[in-house]
Order: sequence, then structure tokens, then C-alpha cells
Amino acid sequence: MEFSTILGAWVAAGLTLFIFSFLYKDNPFFKAAEHLYIGAGLAWHIQLIIYKIIKVKVWEPMKVAWASGNWFTIWMIIIPTILGLSLITQFIPRISWLSRYGFTFMMGYSAGLALPAGLATDFTNQILGTIEPFANIVNLTPGQLINALILLIGSISVLFYFFFSIEHKGAVKKISNFGIYFLMIYFGASFGNTVMARFSLLYGRFDLLVRYSNAQYFYATNWIIVGLVIYFLLEKFVLNKVIAKNS
Amino acid sequence: MKETLNKLLKIDRRWLFLLLTFSILIPIIKPIGISSKSISSGVQDTYNFIEKLPEGSTIILSMDYDPSTAPELHPQSAAILKHAFKKNLKVIIMTFLAGSGGLIDEHIRNIPQQYGKEYGKDYVVLPYMPNVLAALTQMSSDIYAIYDKDKDDKILKNFEMMKKIKNYKDISAVIDITGTALLDSWIVFVGDKYGVPVMGGVTAISQVGYGPYLQKKQLKGLIGGMKGAAEYERLISEPGKGTSGIDALNIAHLLVILFIIFSNIVLLILKLS
Amino acid sequence: MNLIKKHIPLAIVFVFGIMTLASYYVPHRKSENYLEWINIWQNIVAAFALFLGAISLFYAHYKKIERKVDGWGYSLFVYFGFLVIMVAAIVSDGKISDNGKITFLGWSFNNIYNPLSATMFSVLAFFIISTAYRSFRIKSFPAFLLFIAGLVLMLGNIPLGEIIWDKLFAWTNTTIADIKNWIISVPSTAGKRGIMIGIAIGAAVTSLKIIFGIERGYMGKD
Repeated sequence: MEFSTILGAWVAAGLTLFIFSFLYKDNPFFKAAEHLYIGAGLAWHIQLIIYKIIKVKVWEPMKVAWASGNWFTIWMIIIPTILGLSLITQFIPRISWLSRYGFTFMMGYSAGLALPAGLATDFTNQILGTIEPFANIVNLTPGQLINALILLIGSISVLFYFFFSIEHKGAVKKISNFGIYFLMIYFGASFGNTVMARFSLLYGRFDLLVRYSNAQYFYATNWIIVGLVIYFLLEKFVLNKVIAKNS
Repeated sequence: MKETLNKLLKIDRRWLFLLLTFSILIPIIKPIGISSKSISSGVQDTYNFIEKLPEGSTIILSMDYDPSTAPELHPQSAAILKHAFKKNLKVIIMTFLAGSGGLIDEHIRNIPQQYGKEYGKDYVVLPYMPNVLAALTQMSSDIYAIYDKDKDDKILKNFEMMKKIKNYKDISAVIDITGTALLDSWIVFVGDKYGVPVMGGVTAISQVGYGPYLQKKQLKGLIGGMKGAAEYERLISEPGKGTSGIDALNIAHLLVILFIIFSNIVLLILKLS
Repeated sequence: MNLIKKHIPLAIVFVFGIMTLASYYVPHRKSENYLEWINIWQNIVAAFALFLGAISLFYAHYKKIERKVDGWGYSLFVYFGFLVIMVAAIVSDGKISDNGKITFLGWSFNNIYNPLSATMFSVLAFFIISTAYRSFRIKSFPAFLLFIAGLVLMLGNIPLGEIIWDKLFAWTNTTIADIKNWIISVPSTAGKRGIMIGIAIGAAVTSLKIIFGIERGYMGKD
């Protein structure tokens, strides 16, 4: 096995265990790993932007357009670049208003894009989905009919629950309370699945740690666990005593 | 008695952590080896859809997940990719999530060779694109306007499998595997707007929330979490990380159920006494 | 001054908002061309937005180090993590693998970014188990419904759950998978659909307010 693979196993197992060590108690290893994560995560995104956006979409087309004197393309790259740069003026209070040009562009674009699409997918289509089964009512089995009714009544009563423009009392209160039952079933189902999701992630980490505890990786996992245990023992029996003595 | 029960309720949570650790760790080292019999309708629908596609059709596999959700979603995308290759479909792999690059790479280093598939002829990988809405709307008219190059900066148009591809009209299906809300974008901007069949593979957490889209058939199929991955692996008879994963989660799930029931019974006893 | 500080930005939001909105409904070559360019614009502007985040993060940790606040040493790790990945990216020319061989950047992804990110999220599993034990209290009917739905899903998700169900409830002639499917596709879908429609209305109203310059909180103060 290559050296880089083994080193990788040690680094990966180490960082994984450093973060898990937090479950016992807060400690410097966890804190270091946590901060490393922030920096590494940011760098990962930035390098992508540089190599996959700036280089490919700004720098290279600009070079080509410049060489061929294609002013349309040049402007089409310069304008968004200026808009983007304007965002950075956020940090200079005197001219921070310049950043509004970038922000308003992004807001206008996203709002214009989100509005029609959201209405079609999450509004009209959902209402259609709720009432469509009834258009075909003669062909529904009794079971399908009951399900369609539950779906209709449930969706409407949940909407009542979220409808704040009228006071919730009398019949409205009853309907909105009924809506809570559907919300609870939705949340309960989500909880049940969240358990599986979170455990799956843990499985992923443990699976890796088990792999790295093999001889071919020079027992990376085992040694790092031993090291952490020694640290916590030392901290408990030696470091704390020294601190107590000094104070 | 009362005191012991009270103490039991307030037990140091690190004991619970330890129990959970062993409940997952032990089955990894020594698998239980019972497999699920049921296949959920969302997984079956996805499988059937891909199974029925004519040979040579092109599908988009959008791998929009990063390491934080990979244990659930990586087996799903692996299963889809294997199925597609078995059926001799062409696959365009893309991503809108910054952290997915290494994961995509892992698949293409391992899976295509098993099926004798060639880069550029049977599959291509597009580079990461940060703004999903831009790319999704763009591809409706001309894929190459936004993706002129592949992930290695090679001209995309020149690849053999891309010769007949211009826009969504040439795409038979989209499968988005994601731990984010990106599947919603695929449904909104591609499925609903351009009528491309969209299927999804999502984390178990978000699976439940896609019920409305499935019911309205805005989603043609849905794979949910590790369990969904295991089911798909069973359908294509290629047991992988999904199957072994769900096996390891057996005891941990029972633990949660037992904990909820136990603590509530203890509470009830305390109340009654 | 008011013109360039306020009116032009509001005009930008209005113009791009309306034009993008219109492009959804106008199936014309011109509107597609507009989308084509505006999408590239958005990509470029969004890239700068990330730099904005980076600068503010660096500044915050720089201040911590400068003032030597408690635990300032850890802030160095932020810079260190950043440097490692950046150097890896430069050395590897932004490529994760080259001719099937993993580059330094690919190595950093697999062994630094991946374990850190994945472990951070997996830690939540431990908090699920302690929440289940300490806080999941079935005290009311809605809470009972929540528990039942959760229970069915958990049992339905694992092979062992299916076996237990079949041992105990085979006489009901249903499988736990059937019940799980029904919960997800009927009552839970009803609950989610109500939420969805509510959010869609809210989002549409907010979008309109932004386009017409009624909502301008994102512009900051004058």
C-alpha cells in the first residue's frame, strides 16, 4: 500500500476520533478539529469557485473575447464582475451602499425566478393533486376514496391551522386542532426517518474506523484511541492536580 | 424505588452514547445478516422507470450531496449508476454541490470499469456549477451554453455520446440524489416546467416531505435513505453498502424505540406512585 | 445622491425581477437568450458573494488572534485548514483526480474535508438517542400520534422490525411496510401539503414585495 494512503488513513481516523472525543467532554483535540473544519470547508468552496467559475467563465472567455475584439462578450463579463465586486464594499462603511447594486441584482433575479415556479409547483399543482382523485370518483376503490378524502380534509385543516387572519375559535378552532393531528403524524414520520438518517451517518464513520483499524493501515484507529484515552487519563489525574496545586 | 427510577431517568447521557456506539459497531464487525423483504413503492417505481428505458437512452444523474450525507446517498447513486450501465444507458453526471467532487470521483474510478464502460462514450462528468437555477433553466434550450466543457476542461460537445444531445428533449430521465433541497429545484424547473421525468434519491430525513410530489406524480419515483439504497441494491441484485448499512442499524433502531417506551413507563410509574 | 444610492438599486431589482419573471412565461428565442446571459451573470455574482463570507470569517478570527481572546490559538487552525486545501488546489490545478490517479486535492478531500464534515453531522446521532430517552414524552394525544408515526417508520425501516411485526401481528394480514407506506403517502402527505401550500403563498407574496420595492430590508440602512 502506498504511503499516502496510509497517511490518509491516519489523518482521517484521527480527525474523526478527535471530533467524537467531544462526546466524552470538550477538549483541545475537538476544538482544533472543529476550527480546521471551518477553514478547510471554506477553502474547498473557494477553490471550486476559482477553478470552476472564475477561471472557466470569466478569465478564459475574456481572453478569447479580448483577442477577437468581441465587445459584447467583454461587457457581458465585466458587468457581473463589477456587480460581484460591489458586494465586497460591504466592508468599507463609507461606500458600502455600492454593494446594493450586487444585492439588488441577485434579489431581483431570484424573486423573478421563484415566483412563477413556486406558484405552479407548490400551489396550483398541490391543490390539483388534492382534488384530482375526485374527478375520477366512479373508478376509485373504497380504499382509494377514503385516502383521497383523508388527504383533502387533512390538507385543508392544516391550512386552517396556519391561517392567522381570523381568530381561532369555534368551528375554525376545531378544524385547526384537527390539522394538528396531521402535522403530528408528519413530524412523527419525519422523526422516525431522521433516526435512520443520523444512524446511517454514524454507520458511515464507524465503518471507516473499523477499516482503518486493520494491520495494513498500521492499526491507525486503535493507536489514536489509545492516545486519546491516555490524554484524558493524564488530564484527569495529573493535569488537574497540577492546576489545583498552582491555584 | 422512586429514587432509583428518578436516577435512572437522569442517567449520565454518556452511557447512552456508549450503548449506541456498541449497537452499531458490533454489527459492523459481525453482521446480523437478515435482509429486508419489502420494497417501498417509491423505489420500485424508480427501478421500473429505468428498467423500461430503451437501450442507449441518456439520463442525467445529479449527485448533489457531500460527505455529510454520503453514507445514505452514496450507495443510492452507486446502485442507480450500476443499473443504468447494466441497461446500457448513457449517463450524464453533474453536481450543484461543492462538496461532491471527491465522491463522484470515487464512483467513476470504480463502477464504469466493472461494466466495461468508457468515458465520453457511455458517461460524462460535468463540472460543479454553483447556481442551480441558472443551469437548470439553461439546459432547456442548450446544454452547451452553460456546460461548454466537462470536469477536466475538455470540450463537451466533442464526446461521442453528446453528439445527439442538445437539451432536455434528448434526456429520458433525471435522477437527483441529494441531501439538500436541490431535488425541489429539479421538480420545479425541469419536471414541472419542461415535462422531463424526475426521480429522486434523498436522505431519510427529507423522504417524508416529498409525499405530496409523489402523490401528484411530479416525482416519478423516490429512494429514501439507507433503507431505500438497500432496496434498490436488492432489485438489481448487487448488495452493497446500503444492504450492509441497514443491517448494522437494526439494533440501534430498537434501542431508540426501547428508550422511548422505557422512559415513558418509568415516568408513568413515578406519576402513579 | 438618493438617485444612485436608492432609486437605481430599486430599479435594478424591479427590472431584473420582472424580466426574469416574464421569461418563465415567454417561450421566445429572445427570452431564452436573456436567461442564458442572466444565468451566467448570476453565477459570477454569486461567486463573489462567497468571497464576502470568506473575508468576514477571516476578519473575525484575525480579531480573535489579535486580541488574544480565550482559545485564540484555535483560530490559527482556521487559517491552517484553509491553507492546506488551497495549496492542494493550486498544486493539483483544481483537479481531484488526474488520469484516474488521485491528486493532492483529492487526497485532502478524502482525508481532511470528508472525515471532518461527515463526522460533524454524524455526532447528531448521539443526541437523537439521548433525546429519545430524556425528552420524548408521550403526554397528550398529539404526542401519541407523533410517537406512533415514528414507531411505525422506525420498525418499517429495519429488517428486524419487519420480523418482529410479522411475529406479533401476522394475524392482521398487513405488513409493517404497508402501514409505513400508507402513513407516508396519506396522512403525512396531507400534513406536509398544508405546510407546502402555506409556504408557497408566503413566498409568492415576499417575491412580489421584493420586486416592487416594498420589502427592502436586504438593502441595509441608509
